[in-house]
Amino acid sequence: MAGLKDGDNYKDGEFLKSPTLLKLICLAVGVGGLILFFGLRLAMPEKAGAMGYSWLFAVVFFLSLSIGGMFWTLLHHASNSGWGTVIRRLMENLGVMVLVCLVLGLPLLVPQLGFRDALWEWFPKRAAALEVAAEKAEEGKAAYVAEHNASLEKVTGELEKAKADFAAIDSPSPGHRAHFERSIGSLEAKVEELSSAEVTEEKAVKKLKDKFFLKEEALLYVKRAYLNENAWYLRFWCYFIALVGIAYTLKRWSVRQDSDPDPKWFRWMRRWSCGFLPFFATAWTFLVFDWLMALDYAWFSTMWGVYLFAGCALNSMGLLVIMVTVLRKAGYLKNVVTLEHYHLMGKLMHAFVIFWAYIAFSQYFLIWYANITEETKFYLTRNTEFWNTFTIMCLVVGHFFIPFVILLVRKVKMMPVVLSAIAVWNLLMHFCDIYWIIIPERGPSLSAAAGADIQMTIPGAWLFDLLAFISVAGIFGYFLLRQLGSASLFPCRDPRLDESLNVVN
Amino acid sequence: MSASSDNSKSLFGYVAEFPTASDLYHAAEKVHEAGFRRWDVHTPYPVHGMDHAMGLGKSWLSAGVLVGGTTGFLFALFLQFFTQVSLYPTVVQGKPTNLFTMPAFFPVTFELTILFSGFTILFGLLAVIMLPRWNHPLFTSKLFEKATDDGFLMVIEARDPKFKKEKTHDFLQEIGAGKIEEVAN
Repeated sequence: MAGLKDGDNYKDGEFLKSPTLLKLICLAVGVGGLILFFGLRLAMPEKAGAMGYSWLFAVVFFLSLSIGGMFWTLLHHASNSGWGTVIRRLMENLGVMVLVCLVLGLPLLVPQLGFRDALWEWFPKRAAALEVAAEKAEEGKAAYVAEHNASLEKVTGELEKAKADFAAIDSPSPGHRAHFERSIGSLEAKVEELSSAEVTEEKAVKKLKDKFFLKEEALLYVKRAYLNENAWYLRFWCYFIALVGIAYTLKRWSVRQDSDPDPKWFRWMRRWSCGFLPFFATAWTFLVFDWLMALDYAWFSTMWGVYLFAGCALNSMGLLVIMVTVLRKAGYLKNVVTLEHYHLMGKLMHAFVIFWAYIAFSQYFLIWYANITEETKFYLTRNTEFWNTFTIMCLVVGHFFIPFVILLVRKVKMMPVVLSAIAVWNLLMHFCDIYWIIIPERGPSLSAAAGADIQMTIPGAWLFDLLAFISVAGIFGYFLLRQLGSASLFPCRDPRLDESLNVVN
Repeated sequence: MSASSDNSKSLFGYVAEFPTASDLYHAAEKVHEAGFRRWDVHTPYPVHGMDHAMGLGKSWLSAGVLVGGTTGFLFALFLQFFTQVSLYPTVVQGKPTNLFTMPAFFPVTFELTILFSGFTILFGLLAVIMLPRWNHPLFTSKLFEKATDDGFLMVIEARDPKFKKEKTHDFLQEIGAGKIEEVAN
């Protein structure tokens, strides 16, 4: 309480002096990596499938970090928080990186690159099934029409015969009359139904296509409303607009507030964040359904969205800790961010280490206990050979137990360098988590598609993973540094700045 | 000297009122500097940083909770492994009865860890603040009633080794106390 900081002294903000050398290094690594990666893709067409998985992995890792940045910004506004105003600009900058990440994800959408069909088997399977169905429908259409006409003829004959029989009876008893009236009535209805459904060959083909599609790939037929090309592309652009729109709107309003004493921008951000949150959550949840859960179209988990989200929130908070520490070492935010902020960020990291483990375990536990074939598939793959050790060491021990125990200590959360080291460790584990989600599908999927014996891993493919990761990291780093320099490092005229500067917990 | 110590036997201590939370905060810093041990502040709402101003250290309760939680964790594991694996191996859903039964035991382990931690917090806290008790001398003070309304109060107890009747009264006035009330034991 002694010596409260006055927000007015900070109203000019702090601007990052562009770290040109670092930016150039990032750009060189990124662009060099991109050229090498896509050059290799062209040079080795037979490796296209394996490289698709690498690219998806690299893009999703960085996308998840920026999604986490968006989440913290939205949550900060929606819950009307005051503690984190001084680091909110960093969250916003992380959030707008979603554009770069989604643009880097565009190669996955181009079928000619060979990534899409290797990653999501339902594309080629559906196409093949539809082709077979179309062929069979073409073959069977004449027979179908003939059959229809024959049955119409048959029913008409029956009707005429019944009418004649009825007329032949001189004085029908009430029972006879009732019997004939009923049968003539039902036959007339049948004739009407058959003749009104005028069967052309076109209609026959449509009907038969559905029938044969169901026979070929029953699962894809049942899921056809969701798993089809047009809907998939349409959904992607919806996610794109929602995520990029939200991130950029919040950043723009926040930056306007920096030079405008009118607090309306602050109010808008607060109000609109509550409205944005459902769209943000839906977009991310369905994006990971489409990109990650659909790696095996037969598998499903209702906890998938929240599982991915838990990792995002944890690791973007970790990245924020690292960013703040590096900026402070470079001489920025010195009087702005205090150990109290570190303590708060450390507590949130600890909370999300637990939350992640809680969700990950719940997902595993229910599937493990229920033991239903189509559900256990996912974990069976990840408990086979190399992946078994990987799961236990990285996810159980590394992702949960180690950070959980270390972060229990209060002092650790108030030591910037130690907390950053834990954040780096967490990011490494997040790397393993995303790797574990995507890559185990690669061996079985690709070997099955090639008709070979099932392999758990593709030898040497990890080099592509590393290359993809490094190139995306370079691009991500370059644009993040640019974003950091685009405005003050903290919202310098935010009405909550005083509160955040003097936060005590 | 002897008079003051005689008096302090029937005296519980002083209740002093400060005009604002900020005044109380600075006064608390001075009282801590002066080396008093048996004293406390009472405010209608929590004042951020007051523990720091009063020079309060970290409570030992968190260490106790760690011990409690660990006990719960180990107890739950022992309970389940002993009964379900060694004493009477129980096969449920075709799951093995060995170390790999672990996932099935996790919910109970989780719950017991929390339960034991919670108990440690509750009973540890009651022990630290010496509750329950029948009455407290401060309840006879009219001024003390303001602690739940609009008063920023400081209480210095007479059993504090540094407590001297007149000197402490003067000291309280010096650090900005408004109304000062003597509370009988």
